[in-house]
Order: sequence, then C-alpha cells, then structure tokens
Amino acid sequence: MNGVARPANAAELAELLRSKSGPVRLRGNGSRADRVPPAATGTIAIELRNLATIDRLDAADFTCSVDAGLDRSTLDDELAARGVELPCAGAGTLGGLFASDPIGATMFGGASPRSLLLGLEGVLADGTRFRSGARVVKSVAGFDVHRLLVGSHGTLFAATRLHLRLRARPRAAAWFRNDALDEAGARTLFVALRGLAVPPAALHWRRDARGHTVAGCIAGRANHVAATMRAHHLREGAPFVDLHLQRTPGGEVLGGIVLPSRVPALLAAAPPDAPFLVHGGGRFEIGLSSPAESDAFVAAAPRVPCEACILLGEPARRRRGTPIDPGQSRIAAELKRALDPDGILV
Amino acid sequence: MAMLARRMRPLERSLVRLLGRERVLHSPDALLAWECDGFTVHRRRPRAVVLPESTDEVQAVVRALHDASVPFVPRGAGTCLSGGPTANADAVVVDLARMRKVLQISTEDLFAVVQPGVVNLDLTAAVHHLGLHYAPDPSSQSVCTIGGNFAENSGGPHCFKYGMTVDHVLGALVVLPDGSLARLGDAAGARAPHGLDLTGLFCGSEGTFAIATEITVRLCRDQEAVRTLLASFPTMAAACRTVSDVVAAGLLPAALEILDQATIRAVEASVYRAGYPADAAAVLLVELDGPTEVVAEEAAEVMAVFARHGALHREEASSPADRKRLWKGRKGAFGAMGRLNTDLYVLDGVVPRTRLEEALERIAAIGRKHGVVLTNVFHAGDGNLHPNISFDGRDADQTARTIAAGREILQLCVDLGGSVTGEHGIGSEKLEHVAMMYGPADLDVMARVRRAWNPRDLCNPGKVLPQRSSCAEVAKWPQMVARVLDEEHG
Ligand SMILES: Cc1cc2nc3c(=O)[nH]c(=O)nc-3n(C[C@H](O)[C@H](O)[C@H](O)COP(=O)(O)OP(=O)(O)OC[C@H]3O[C@@H](n4cnc5c(N)ncnc54)[C@H](O)[C@@H]3O)c2cc1C
Ligand SMILES: Cc1cc2nc3c(=O)[nH]c(=O)nc-3n(C[C@H](O)[C@H](O)[C@H](O)COP(=O)(O)OP(=O)(O)OC[C@H]3O[C@@H](n4cnc5c(N)ncnc54)[C@H](O)[C@@H]3O)c2cc1C
Repeated sequence: MNGVARPANAAELAELLRSKSGPVRLRGNGSRADRVPPAATGTIAIELRNLATIDRLDAADFTCSVDAGLDRSTLDDELAARGVELPCAGAGTLGGLFASDPIGATMFGGASPRSLLLGLEGVLADGTRFRSGARVVKSVAGFDVHRLLVGSHGTLFAATRLHLRLRARPRAAAWFRNDALDEAGARTLFVALRGLAVPPAALHWRRDARGHTVAGCIAGRANHVAATMRAHHLREGAPFVDLHLQRTPGGEVLGGIVLPSRVPALLAAAPPDAPFLVHGGGRFEIGLSSPAESDAFVAAAPRVPCEACILLGEPARRRRGTPIDPGQSRIAAELKRALDPDGILV
Repeated sequence: MAMLARRMRPLERSLVRLLGRERVLHSPDALLAWECDGFTVHRRRPRAVVLPESTDEVQAVVRALHDASVPFVPRGAGTCLSGGPTANADAVVVDLARMRKVLQISTEDLFAVVQPGVVNLDLTAAVHHLGLHYAPDPSSQSVCTIGGNFAENSGGPHCFKYGMTVDHVLGALVVLPDGSLARLGDAAGARAPHGLDLTGLFCGSEGTFAIATEITVRLCRDQEAVRTLLASFPTMAAACRTVSDVVAAGLLPAALEILDQATIRAVEASVYRAGYPADAAAVLLVELDGPTEVVAEEAAEVMAVFARHGALHREEASSPADRKRLWKGRKGAFGAMGRLNTDLYVLDGVVPRTRLEEALERIAAIGRKHGVVLTNVFHAGDGNLHPNISFDGRDADQTARTIAAGREILQLCVDLGGSVTGEHGIGSEKLEHVAMMYGPADLDVMARVRRAWNPRDLCNPGKVLPQRSSCAEVAKWPQMVARVLDEEHG
C-alpha cells in the first residue's frame, strides 16, 4: 500500500478522491484486510475512522444517523443507555460492517445489515457527494442505491454517513447451547427453531471436533423465553460469539449460502471432519485443509446446491468461488462502470 | 383476419406471431382498460398490450420490442397509486396477470417461488393449509400482484412488525430490457458472499430496471394467537400519543392503524361500515400476534395505555368474524372515500413517528388554506401518512388546489425529516416531488444506476426520475404540477 490518508470529514474525503487518479482502497478499522485480494502497488488506503460522530439518535423513533467510521462498540454503548439496539452481528466500523456484511442475518427473516440500512450519504470515486434513502423507517422514494453498499467491499463508493433502523431491547433474553448432538439431531433442532412463528433472535449450528452444536438466543417477554426454552429442551449456555471459523495453516475458509434442507448434502460434499458453521439466516462457513479440498468443494457446490467463495486463504485465491449467474455478473459490472468508471476503488 | 393483419403495424404483427392474436391487443377500444392505474389523473392509452404466459414469452416479446426500439411497461394488476404502470411515449404494456402460477412451495425451508401475476392474497391462500402465510399485506392485497409488490416495495398494515416487501423477497428471475435473463439472489439468501444485493436494489425500482418473471419469497409461520383491539379518542393528539406510548413500552404490535373522523364517517356511510364510533376524532386499531400467553399480557398492557390516554371507547374483536369487521372499515377506507367525490388523490408521506401529532395539525391547516376536503387514514406505527383529498377532476380550480395542497403536504413531510412516499412510489405522480428529497447529484447517481440495467431507457420510461431534458413525452400530471408551481412562483 502506498500510504494512508485519513480525512477528517466527508468534505475532505470528497476532495481527496477528486484529486486522486490512482487506485484507492477504503478502510475502516482494517480488520478485514486479510479477507480481500491484495492491492496493486501504488494503491493508497483511505481510512475513515476519523468520521466518527453520532449525528442523531432518535431512540423513540428507532432510528439514528452515524458517521461510517464510527466504531460499532461506541454506538452500542450509546444505544444501550437509551434502551435500544442495532439488531445485527458484526464488529469494526459501521461502514466496514455494512460494506462487508460478514454474517448476514443471524436468523431466517431476522435483521441483517441489509434490512437495517435505511439510507446513506456517500462519495463516488470522482468525489461526487450523494444521498440515497431516507432517515425514516419507511421510504420508497427513488432507487435504493444504499443497498449497493452491502457486500460491495468498498468498491462502488464510500459511505460517509449511515441512517440505521434500531429496535427496542427485548425485555428478556436467554442464550442456549445444545451440544454433543449428532448430525440428524442438530438438523432437526435447527429446522424446528428456524421455523417457529416467533423464531429465536439468533441461531447457529456448528460442527467441530466435538460434534454438532445448536446455539442461539431466545428473546422477548419472559414467559415466551421460558416456554420456548422448555418446549425445545434448550440448555442455557454462554452467548455464542464465535461467528466465524479460523483458518488452519495452509487451509482455507469458504463462505456461502445454503438452505437448511441442503446442509446434509453440503456436509457430504466436504471431508467428514471439516469444521462447519451455519447461521439461521443461511450464511455458512466451512474450513478446508488445503486449496485442493476447497477446489473440490467448489466444484461440488452446484450439486448441493449452494453458492460459496473463499473467505480466508492465500491472497490471490480470496473471493474465488462458484460462478455467479452471468446476467447478475453483467449488471454488477455495469454498476461498477456506472459508479466508478475509472476503476479507482479497489 | 387478413384485413386486420393488414392494418397492423410490423411490430404488432411480429408480436402476434409470438403470442397469437388473442394475446396482443391493439385496437383503441381494447386498450381502454390499460390507460391508467389507481392514479387516474395520468391517463394514456398504450400502443398495444401483450399478455405473455411464461418467461420465454416475455423474453421473446422484450427482444422484439428492443429490436424495434419500442418502449414497454411491465404491469401487474394496475392498482398502483402513482402512475407506475401507465404507458408513456407510445409504449407497449407487458401485462403479467396471466403468469399466476405458484411454482414451488417449501415447508421445510419456508419459501415459495411464484410467477409475477400471482395475486398477493392468493399466495397466502395457497399456503394457508400448511400454517403459513406471506406477510406483506397491502390493503389492495385481494387484487394486486406479487410482481407489482416487488417492483413497488409495497407495504401494508402489518409491515410495522413484519417489514416491507424487500424484507420478504429472497430472489428473482428477471428479463432485462434487451431480452436476456438475470437471476438475482436465491432461496437460500438474497446475496451470496461474493455478490451484491441486487434483489434489494431491484425491489422498489418501479418497473424501470427489468421485468421480473419469477420471484422467490419468504413464507412465515402463522402465529398461535391474534388479538385485534380498537379504541376511539376525543382528539387525534390522544390517538397519536397512545401509539407512541405503546411503542415506547417495548411492545411490537403487528399493526397500528389510525383513521380520522372524516374517514370514520365516510366508512360508516359506505358498504365498508364496521361499527366505528362516528363521533370520535380518531379510531386506533391495534393488532397483536404471537404465543397465546404473550398476546394476553400485551393486550392488557395496550388496554391500559388506551385508558391512560382517555379512550372514549375500547373494544376487542370477539371472534374471527368480528376481527374481520374491525378491519373491514380500515381496508375499505380508500373505497369509502372514493365515493365522496369523482376523484380521490391518495397521498403517501412519511414522518418520524414522534412527529405525527404535529404533522397532522399542520396538514389540517394546509387543507384549510387550500379549501380542500382532506381525510386521513394511516400506518401510525411507521409514521406513514395517507392524507386523501377528494376532488372533482373536471373542475380545473379544484384540481389545482388539490395539487397545491398535496405538494405542500409532501414538503412538510420532508421538512419534518421524512419522505415523499412510504409505499406508493414515485411513478409519474411525484416526478416533481422527488426533488424535495434529493439534489441533482443524488438523482444523477440514481440515473446512472438505472442505466446499468436499462441503458436505452426502453423499460418504463418517464418514471421515478425527472427527465426534463431527455423525455420526449411528459405525463399530464407533472405538467399540471409544473403549471401550479409556475403560478405559485409568479
Ligand atoms: C475481532 C474481529 C474478528 C473478526 N473476524 C472476522 C471473521 O472471522 N470473518 C469475517 O468475515 N469477518 C471478521 N471480522 C470482520 C468484521 O466482522 C467486519 O467485516 C468488520 O465490521 C469490518 O469492519 P472494519 O472497520 O474493520 O472494516 P474494514 O476491514 O476496514 O473494511 C471492510 C470492507 O469494507 C470496506 N469499507 C470500509 N469502510 C467503508 C465505507 N465507509 N464505505 C465503503 N466501504 C467501506 C473496505 O474497503 C473493506 O472492503 C472480524 C472483525 C473483528 C474486529
Ligand atoms: C385501494 C388500494 C389500496 C392500496 N393499499 C396499499 C398499501 O396498503 N400498501 C402499499 O404499499 N400499496 C398500496 N396500494 C398501491 C398498490 O396496490 C401497490 O403499489 C401494489 O404493489 C401494485 O401492484 P399491482 O400488481 O397492481 O402492480 P401495478 O400497479 O400493475 O404496477 C406497479 C408497478 O410495478 C411495475 N411492475 C408490475 N409488475 C412488474 C414485474 N413483474 N416486473 C417489474 N415491474 C413490474 C409496474 O411497471 C409499475 O411501475 C393500494 C392501492 C389501492 C388501489
């Protein structure tokens, strides 16, 4: 990387981008640096951590507007003090969290970065400042350009301010962790909980050396929490915070999306001891011990079916994965051309 | 037949070759039913209407139109309230109402794949016996289609708890404006980790990106218990404060709907009569759903909040039939108000929920200033207002005052930190109003995004974004708005 610039505000960022002609990599806390393909020489990093104010926090309206470089933990503290929360997983700066959307929803139909982003202010690679969406919980005015932030990994535009939807903190919550399950038992429990009329606030299914674990959080009124824990024989446990798999030396971690009914087929397509994690929202990670194993898994993925790509691995292999639908790829390429025609943001 | 064929233009002839004569309408009389949607001020007869029945047929039709450089407009049931499916620029309407098959239902993975012409309520009817439903419920749900809902990102009374259409659409197969296909998202998730959220971007694009021919949506499990409560209040302010307190208490009702006095009276005088107290200044409907014991506790809490705010009358639906009765007035409100005059202008602004009371006071003042008949029925939980103006569209003065009042109301919503539309879209109706929220740079970025999908602007031209310079065919309504603006600014 050819240096780091740290603009103090959105106007400075716009000016910086306007004056740049070479490649730029946007950065929040930089925690995802090991997950993206390497930057070409001459790339400068623009770090947005100085854009870190809470512009407004309307707890009664369940909305707030924050700078994209604000750290999630700072916001969480402010929200907790007002009895509200941002109901999605993930850490780092809010801009980084939304741009990488590392986990999706922790529950099917539950809130994900995608559903919590009401609007944003941003800057294009040519320095143009723009707005999309609104600050209120409901608006269908214009095209939802802000949805393009999610999963864009900083390659379409820089978000400088985010308008977010919040939620009241639940009156009661209990974490559960049912471990030492066999595959069939884990799947039955996972599918039953995912299909509840009032689903858990978080749901995860993990396979590791010790067997299968189904864990998560039941939230709501105290009587509902107690009744759900009882009805499904859920055992209280510590909060489930390991939302990602770690890479083993020489190995790779793949991530993707899969339907619960296809998890057995997915596990059959991988070595029997491969660590595996799936969130209630459908996002999974699987740990494979070598690039050859990953390639075999990716080749088998369409038969599962599931979509997947390499999250952690040698820099040149990151983000390789199952082919994206050609029509979808074409639109994605057109969007890149439309918003960043010179390919500045990498 | 031979004579008819001779009168047809070459494009119509090739469309007939693709679909057959019965599914290509082009005589002026046959086109009458397609000349507008629920926004009746903007009328324009399309060049032709085609009625495809499969993705292949949509592709073939779109290819022919693309090759002939003829614009086209996707259409569902035509219940849109902002002119979205109304033809501009001699366009051909691609009517998707015949594509009404539910293609797949998964009870384990909880999704359905449907063709775009499936009627919203028919999807719930198709999965009802499985204890499932499709959550977004626009008041037009017995008629409007999933394709239209997807294109508008429609809401409805139950969206306060369950979210808008975008929160329920997982993926789609779309025919791009050159006739090629793109598959967005997947039943397993709207976005793969190495993809963008194109499903989310498409949702709400008002038929200007492409034509959706298959849509994958999430199904929800039916709740164990549903309780519907109603209270009437001596003032609108008391009803609004009740809503705030219900939400502040951490309750999450499925729906929180308010009707004002004029609406109550219109409803009670119509076939949608629901037995609402006609002397009340406002009626608040609260629906709670969830496990039986939870809903029981919540109902008691809500009743207590009603009492605290001086409710004149409180009741709870005693049976499913009674629940239907309480909803009948709310769901039929637009129909009831439509009878007050020849035309009804349904506005759709949003304000932060905590500003509802102030917004309604100022809206009433705007109504008085312009001398228009104004009623309010709205999704109070989301701050999504529907001020309705009854007017006689044949009277130029009334129409001008209606437009001026509507414009001022939407400006007020923006000034209070809200939006010019919560669920009905921009269409052709709000081409001028959209600039209240966005500046030229914002609109330019949106235009770039649309061009990525629809580079030649063949798919539903003249909608969503004002196109002063390039649009050859500007709809009648924006022209009227422009005239009012010119007059206002001297
Ligand atoms: C302790 C820890 C452990 C983690 N473990 C994992 C893990 O195992 N797996 C995993 O997937 N993630 C993991 N993450 C990453 C994390 O969950 C999110 O990806 C994180 O929120 C990113 O925040 P950041 O500020 O570090 O972003 P960065 O890493 O700085 O940026 C993330 C991406 O977003 C882009 N970006 C940043 N800011 C903006 C902006 N304002 N506008 C547009 N684009 C922007 C960047 O270009 C980059 O592509 C971990 C994070 C932490 C702190
Ligand atoms: C009485 C009444 C009550 C209403 N209540 C509500 C409400 O509570 N909430 C709400 O949100 N709306 C409401 N509406 C507005 C309207 O019903 C919705 O916008 C609805 O989603 C439109 O669906 P439709 O099938 O009628 O679509 P149409 O009106 O035919 O089309 C709407 C838009 O979608 C596009 N379109 C249609 N099908 C496709 C497709 N397959 N692919 C791409 N684009 C497509 C069209 O080009 C057009 O721009 C109401 C309308 C009425 C008349």
